[in-house]
Amino acid sequence: MDRETIARVAKVARLNLTEEEMERYAKDLDDILNSFSVLDEAPAGDTYSFNPIPVVDVLREDEPGQDLDPQVLRDQMGTYEGFVRGPRLS
Amino acid sequence: MSAIYDLIRYAQLKHRAFTEIVEDLDDTKFHFSAKDNLCADGFQARAGSAVLDGYRPPFDATPIRKMKDSGGQLVGKTTMDEFGFGTFSTNSAHGVPLNPFDLERSCGGSSGGAGAAACLIPGHIALGVSTGGSISGPASFCGVVGLTPTYGRVSRYGLIDYGNSLDKVGLLSRSSSLVAKHFRTISGPDPKDPTSCAQPVLADRGKMPRSLAVPKEALQNLDPAVRSSFQDALSRFKELGTEVHEVSMPSLRFALPAYYILATSEASTNLARYCGMRFGRREEELNQHFNDFFTGVRSESFGDEAKRRILLGTFCRMVGFRSRYYLKSLAVRQLLIEEYQKVFRDHDAVVTPTMPFIAPRFEEIGRMKTLEMYGADVLTVPPNLTGMPHISVPCAYVKGLPVGMQLVADHWKELDLLEAASAWEKAFIYRFPEVSP
Amino acid sequence: MKIGLEMHFQLPTRSKLFCSCPTSSAEPNHNVCPVCLGYPGSRPSLNRKALEAGLGIARFLDCKIEEKVWFNRKTYFYPDLPKNFQITQYESPLGTNGHFDLNGRRIGIWRVHLEEDPGRIRRVGRSGEEIAFVDYNRSGIPLVEIVTAPDLTSPEEAREFIDQLVTELRSLCGLEAQDEQSFRVDANISLGEERVEVKNVQGLRNLERALKFEASRQSKLLAAGKKVVRETRRFDEERKVTSSAREKETEEDYGYIGEPDLGEFRIGEMARNLDLKETPLVRARRLVSSFGIGEATAKQLVLTSVTLTDLFEELCRHVPPEKAVSWTTGPISSNWAVLQDPGKWPEIVQIVKDDSDGRINDNEAKRRILSLAGVQQEAAVEGGDDMTKLISDFVDSHPEVLADYRKNPKAANMVIGHVMKESKGRYSSKEVVEEVRKEMDKRV
Repeated sequence: MDRETIARVAKVARLNLTEEEMERYAKDLDDILNSFSVLDEAPAGDTYSFNPIPVVDVLREDEPGQDLDPQVLRDQMGTYEGFVRGPRLS
Repeated sequence: MSAIYDLIRYAQLKHRAFTEIVEDLDDTKFHFSAKDNLCADGFQARAGSAVLDGYRPPFDATPIRKMKDSGGQLVGKTTMDEFGFGTFSTNSAHGVPLNPFDLERSCGGSSGGAGAAACLIPGHIALGVSTGGSISGPASFCGVVGLTPTYGRVSRYGLIDYGNSLDKVGLLSRSSSLVAKHFRTISGPDPKDPTSCAQPVLADRGKMPRSLAVPKEALQNLDPAVRSSFQDALSRFKELGTEVHEVSMPSLRFALPAYYILATSEASTNLARYCGMRFGRREEELNQHFNDFFTGVRSESFGDEAKRRILLGTFCRMVGFRSRYYLKSLAVRQLLIEEYQKVFRDHDAVVTPTMPFIAPRFEEIGRMKTLEMYGADVLTVPPNLTGMPHISVPCAYVKGLPVGMQLVADHWKELDLLEAASAWEKAFIYRFPEVSP
Repeated sequence: MKIGLEMHFQLPTRSKLFCSCPTSSAEPNHNVCPVCLGYPGSRPSLNRKALEAGLGIARFLDCKIEEKVWFNRKTYFYPDLPKNFQITQYESPLGTNGHFDLNGRRIGIWRVHLEEDPGRIRRVGRSGEEIAFVDYNRSGIPLVEIVTAPDLTSPEEAREFIDQLVTELRSLCGLEAQDEQSFRVDANISLGEERVEVKNVQGLRNLERALKFEASRQSKLLAAGKKVVRETRRFDEERKVTSSAREKETEEDYGYIGEPDLGEFRIGEMARNLDLKETPLVRARRLVSSFGIGEATAKQLVLTSVTLTDLFEELCRHVPPEKAVSWTTGPISSNWAVLQDPGKWPEIVQIVKDDSDGRINDNEAKRRILSLAGVQQEAAVEGGDDMTKLISDFVDSHPEVLADYRKNPKAANMVIGHVMKESKGRYSSKEVVEEVRKEMDKRV
């Protein structure tokens, strides 16, 4: 795991790392991934699902309804003229 | 009841089991607690993380609502590793819980506070959450019964996510009957959590397991005291009329890597929402580019282990690595499920020690490398990865500290495990620390 | 020129894709809940109507439908994305490899899939330093993404393609008119070798402008002997030009994983069982091929009214198509307000049939239609008595006709001719022939 890779991963994950952290995490990930290389020995397997038990065709009817008053949420988020304020776009 | 309240306060002040407790107890209700990653109206939900400071959920998690509806009072939120990242609850931003038997030892993790509360307070039921063993571990180190239901048995609506295909809400308590009773309360389909809608109806009773399987691969690298305690426990089980057989499960060695890759991959996406907007810790300075805005809050607020897992999980999903790590791990999960189910054709449960050692001292933990810490999960990860229900019960005491034994059954067979636990606790009497609040 | 489009349409469901918040228009941040705000502890559940609408579109576009689909998380950071990941379908779209019939040419459709809309940002502040004011009402609204092959050959054709596609989809699943808010598209356009992507264009008008500008820009470059750079550009709505999208500080790696909270969907069966409405332009093509009517006529019918076209088809079962066309597009459509009542249709059919069979003439048929429509007219002439009088008068004053008739029935022709002439086409020939024969047989 070279510095360039760990820097890229940190950027994708939106984390600022100091030089020391980059070195340390790079080493950690290296050790971890090396020990995980045992996975390469496992058979390939052609099917997989994203859950350990089958979750199939669970659907919700198209009925509008809100069981939580949106005012509560607006108060919590803090709004200005009804909008949630966020950072600069450029 | 004030005796109970005294114990709650004691657990909070002396053992840091709770991040928050109520001011008064309601005599008409039974008392329960919830791990701090379960949302409850009226409490903060910070999941052991500084990034969620100030988050007061405006709703109850479904399991909590069900407990309340059945006459329970939520008396406190229990301490945990940040987002569930840990095996010793040492990665907590809100205090590290201390073992009820020995203040210098860990409660286990990530539901450490729940383990301590369940141990210290008689008649208490603590809701915990397991992703890779975070109910079993604390149950083992704190000497209580800990049930991790099948994935999808209990609604996760209102649970702050670690890994969506791995998280399960479960229960810790001194007695299996209390666990059994409230397991029924919190189970059942919830339309707000589609993964809870695939479960079969809970039967009226379970069946006592007649044949137990011990995978020989699971007996490697155990603390010698744990190994011999476990063998003694097996003998005791045989006296109950249960058969014990050795089996081989060669795919067990793939479980830990597959688990950590899937869990961290999912977690790294779940934690993307913590960016200083709308809830939790906010970034007030809007006059900065959104990438800097997000990066600043995250870098300041996430703990060391959280950052490590985010980096690991992000990497395993990236172009060029995704097949080898993320997709491969999904396939390995399937492999392991099939291997377990093959064992279950001939046996009713798989049994192993819960943890490879007794609760370590904090100074020992401080010397552990990351991989060593991950390795502590080696026995709890396999049933967590496959989503199978498992229960940890105390089976011995070494140097005064509890040793846990873990039984795993096939999907949906929690009641069989509870039968076994019930039979077990008649044969083996649990010890709890003397407490004078 | 090659143009390919990646279009996003909002589906007309009453609740959002993954939560039951309303999709109706509302004050900012009123149609929100923990799910579409990405609150910790919340999780999605899929709207059945959205899935059915998406499947209907995939089938309509003749796509290959997968047996099993699921959803993915596409992770990237932006202020309008509550979870900082979007739930979409990366690996398993609802349908692939379909096509759309555009005026006889096939436009390839690469894929159709569902995804959630992010929130809406209003840019506030000094230009270049704007901050985001976010409204999450839009967050979680269902989108269908339709990706075409680069088979479109001009900005005008692209515009027409979308117009026709929207007409069809509106009938198929109630898709609303796609205004600036609800229609967004990424376009790929190349004149030469290199493809330029113009991202996130809002609304049809802007798309056409963007494509025209880009076509012109590329054409000028090539004419000057320069190369077109393969890149991503944005369309500036105010200045109506495309410009190079600023180098993104961080190139995103979306790191797709499956969305475990939703599970899988076995859509093969669901898609096969869908009862698809016949869309207007498809129907028009069928009318042309089944009944041989003109394309313009067919389009006029289907775009005027579904039920008028239904009546037209019913008439075609009884009379030749040309007759059905002239009656439908004529007096029937002029009086459609009243005649659209299906209770009146059996009578309409009978009148047109009688006219076509010659039992009544056109004027009489028209009179009857208008009468059915409740239109005031001049008093109708009582046909029967008048004709009998004409016949009697003639026969009485031409007794030799009767004598001839006894020997040869053809003698009736004289009477028939006289009555036709005198009645000035008020009656159909068939009516006259019958009546004359009847009268003469009575006297013989």
